[in-house]
Amino acid sequence: MTAVEPQPVGEHRPATGTAVRRKEDTRLLTGRGRYVSDLVLPRMRHVTFVRSPIAHARLSAIDTTAALATEGVHTVFTGEHPAMRAVSLRARSALPGYVETDQPPLARGKVRFAGEAVAAVVADDRYLAEDGAEGVDVDYEPLAPTVCAWAVPTDPVHDEAPDNLLLSRTFRAGDAADALAQADVVVERELTTNRHGGNPIECRAGVARFDGADRRLTFWSGTQVPHLVRTQLAELLELPEGDVRVIAPDVGGGFGVKSVLYPEDVALCLMAIATPDTALKWVEDRVEHLLAATHARDHRYVLRAGFAADGELLAVTADVWCNTGAYSVYPWTAGIEPLMAGGLLTGPYKLSHYEATVRGVATNTSPSGPYRGVARPSTVFAMEALMDSGARALRMDPIALRRRNLILPADIPYKMPSRLVDDSGAYEACLDRAVEVFDVERWRAEQARRREAGERPIGIGVGIYNELTGLGRAASAGPRMPFRTGHDACTVRVNPDGRVTVFSGVTSQGQGLETTMAQVVADALGVAYDDVTVRYGDTDESLWGFGAFSSRQAVIGGGAAQLAGTDVRDKVLALAGALREVDVSDLDLRGGQVYVRGQEKPVIALAEVARVAYLQSDRLPEGFEPGLEGTKFYDPVRGAFAAGVQIAALEFDPVTGGTTILSWVCVEDAGTIVHPVIVDGQIAGAIAQGIGGAMYEHLVYDDVGNLTTGTLLDYLMPTAGEIPELTIDHVSTPAANPTGARGVGEGGTLAPNAVVAGALADALGVEVDDLPVTPARIWALLHGGADR
Amino acid sequence: MKCPPFSYHRATDVADAVAALADADGEGKILAGGQSLVPVLALRRARPDVLVDVNRVPGLADLAGREGVLHAGALVRHTALAAQDGHPLVAAAAGWIGHTAIRSRGTLGGSLAHADPAAELPAVLRACAGAVHVAGPGGTRRVDADGLFVGALQSDLADDEVLTGVELPIPDAWGFAEFARRHGDFAVVSVVAARFGDRLRVVVGGVAGTPHLVGGEEALDALDPGGGPLGPDHVDRLADAAADDVDPVSDLHGSAGYRRALTHEMTRRALTDLARAGDRSATSSHRREPV
Repeated sequence: MTAVEPQPVGEHRPATGTAVRRKEDTRLLTGRGRYVSDLVLPRMRHVTFVRSPIAHARLSAIDTTAALATEGVHTVFTGEHPAMRAVSLRARSALPGYVETDQPPLARGKVRFAGEAVAAVVADDRYLAEDGAEGVDVDYEPLAPTVCAWAVPTDPVHDEAPDNLLLSRTFRAGDAADALAQADVVVERELTTNRHGGNPIECRAGVARFDGADRRLTFWSGTQVPHLVRTQLAELLELPEGDVRVIAPDVGGGFGVKSVLYPEDVALCLMAIATPDTALKWVEDRVEHLLAATHARDHRYVLRAGFAADGELLAVTADVWCNTGAYSVYPWTAGIEPLMAGGLLTGPYKLSHYEATVRGVATNTSPSGPYRGVARPSTVFAMEALMDSGARALRMDPIALRRRNLILPADIPYKMPSRLVDDSGAYEACLDRAVEVFDVERWRAEQARRREAGERPIGIGVGIYNELTGLGRAASAGPRMPFRTGHDACTVRVNPDGRVTVFSGVTSQGQGLETTMAQVVADALGVAYDDVTVRYGDTDESLWGFGAFSSRQAVIGGGAAQLAGTDVRDKVLALAGALREVDVSDLDLRGGQVYVRGQEKPVIALAEVARVAYLQSDRLPEGFEPGLEGTKFYDPVRGAFAAGVQIAALEFDPVTGGTTILSWVCVEDAGTIVHPVIVDGQIAGAIAQGIGGAMYEHLVYDDVGNLTTGTLLDYLMPTAGEIPELTIDHVSTPAANPTGARGVGEGGTLAPNAVVAGALADALGVEVDDLPVTPARIWALLHGGADR
Repeated sequence: MKCPPFSYHRATDVADAVAALADADGEGKILAGGQSLVPVLALRRARPDVLVDVNRVPGLADLAGREGVLHAGALVRHTALAAQDGHPLVAAAAGWIGHTAIRSRGTLGGSLAHADPAAELPAVLRACAGAVHVAGPGGTRRVDADGLFVGALQSDLADDEVLTGVELPIPDAWGFAEFARRHGDFAVVSVVAARFGDRLRVVVGGVAGTPHLVGGEEALDALDPGGGPLGPDHVDRLADAAADDVDPVSDLHGSAGYRRALTHEMTRRALTDLARAGDRSATSSHRREPV
């Protein structure tokens, strides 16, 4: 990483575009991060949840006598406790036909998935709490469980939805049936994608403390969305929102899993209110995380695509089932995956005739929620499977067929068949660059050579995608929820010493937002990067931010930071002009010094302007208020599509099904890049998670709803040993927003399913319909028989 | 995932450890490297009253080759096994165990006593026709590999016995092949082939409750290559025999049919290696880059 050399006074070297030293690294890389689990408060007690071992059952009685008699145990809460009884999380949406359901903080009446919390034990430490949990005796009357979202339902998960259907919507453009009838070639695929989850290194964690004297709740939470959590807690707990403070300190990964407000979070706060002045801590362990944190990507796609003889994509129809699990995830609803699936399925391809019916189906499994890429790793797999099948049917080169159908710059703005508006058009530029960097010709030659020589086969896989990032109010994330996630705020404050503190609405789970926001503000304001400090994650400090999801923070938080920095710059220059009696339009602020344009020596330092603003009101010119800060909101209204292409060469061992990644190239359009190493890190991490989903990670339930992959011994995550060297390259078409950035958080996850499956088909001529692509599955495809 | 309550005893010598186990009346557990025991405790799937820590017992970490046999104390760590060159087969196999942190703590005796049928070291012990030394209240005894592994995660050791040392005969030629889902995972299928003079022992891991000796003790002659070099045809016949001989079950990572196919291929690879390098050094291609 480039070290930042000290810069001469008055010179401003832009921070944007350079790999400045990350502000958070000193603490994060030296073991001095401050996570929720590090928090120790006086007289703090520890909570463990008793979780249902059964997927679907009526709760008849819970006997807590033995638990309460356990040494060190203070209290045991159940769903019928007066503190819990009246509270439900209810994810709301105005979408027609959406069935609203309740999620209790602790199960009431029945349990709906194995792992649902039925009681909470409060003890002096976690060991004692777990001892106590063994003494909670629960009577379950089993009901028939539903595990698969496309199986015939038995006992409904929720009485409100007898068919388990929480939501269904049909996207329609043109006349797909007619266009299919006229197509020269029609391909059909039936695909399933594998349930898996985010698995951040730090699992969920919370500390709740209710101050009995002034009735204020403080909730330290490893959340991605502290302001949303504050609003939701205030509503659910009937507290004035100003008396709820949510603090997200350092957070060890989120990936969407921590953008959800969980029943455990609400239970913890309710228990804290019931036991005032006693801090309660719950730190989730990995077994709980695999069992009860949100899962994702458990989908089925039944697809048809019609092509003209020249390769033009004429029509796509899709029937989609998304397993939403036992509850409509709060606050995102059961619509989060199905609506994203239907809205983005067609990806970067031009298409006039489209009909897709998507469904969110409740089952007796852990709830599904947002996970990095939300539904699109599955839809890109689906769309690219159609492209690969189409290319085989048409005897066309798969890259040429894709190229034939890409949305091009001349088409921008392009209204997708789902009516989302694509502002990118950089797909072909990314594809050209990827083909060049990867060197398709060289790998095709190697493929032919190996075939000739009888050596191990290799295949080339391609995935092209559009990542919908930085969604504004017109394209807000989530299905017509009672809030619109289009905007964030940022406050830039010049302190009396002339240094700058930024109170940003962004949050960080390791992505380096402290650094990125400081870079944007340093450049917008005209100060050195090292003179900017960023605060975030505390609702008592920052005005407002929706937080981290849908690759929005560089776009929206960065936009707000840019606008706030510019606003304060204007204020500094106005005050400096008045103090020095110079026309403001002649002034410039660079490196913390105010200049008259064209002159070499500064007329006044920012530090002196700040001193006047705070400490020397006698020097304040007429019409100026004390203080030097500005707050701005930014909303991009629509959003910024980010184009991406991944191409890889994989070697397959037909005897064992073993797979070796030989080369993996990714080219993305991140627009204006604020910090190149952070951007590449985001892309690399996303590809690694994508490869995990494509080849390793699978949460498997048995027929009665027991999770059979309950530890990391069975739930396989890729390690450094499984992830190849990645070649990451860029094209740059700056977006129409204040920083020009396009989001990069999720794009990398979108292609690996398609790339791995495509490479397998290219190498061995077998189409894989079910993910993940495991050695056993490859072997079964080649040799027949079962894969497990 | 917090351990249930237990008491802790740090053993000063083997006799002290045996006494502590005897006092626990079946509710004691030896703590050596802890790589399997501690997760099991955290999941509360084991609830011993007493953990008897043998890590400070002197003399259990010795490692020496004598007269064609590697004599190893029970506390020898996987890293030490991987680093020694007196028994290149066990060095190669140890390199496949877990990751650096796991190899640094995990012990030879712990792995054998734990008796995981997909683990590397039990398969090596059986392929080498090795034996373990066990101390109990009535004195010491020697248990050979074929008698040690009783079932999945079940050894012949009584509750009050301590595995103290291992005899691992050094083969004249060997081959090792393993297929695992990721670097460091337990084997889906592993095969250890060892030749002692004109006797060939082929052991398959991951296909049964114990490391599976192909052909059983009686059938070894049928597999005997007759002392000459193993040709490809003979390797294929032996691989066929191995695949026919196993009776694997299906699980998350593969069907019975897949495991049988892997048994064939891993046997073929192990025997091909065995045939190719009768006197191969410890730094062969079998060494795995540590992860």
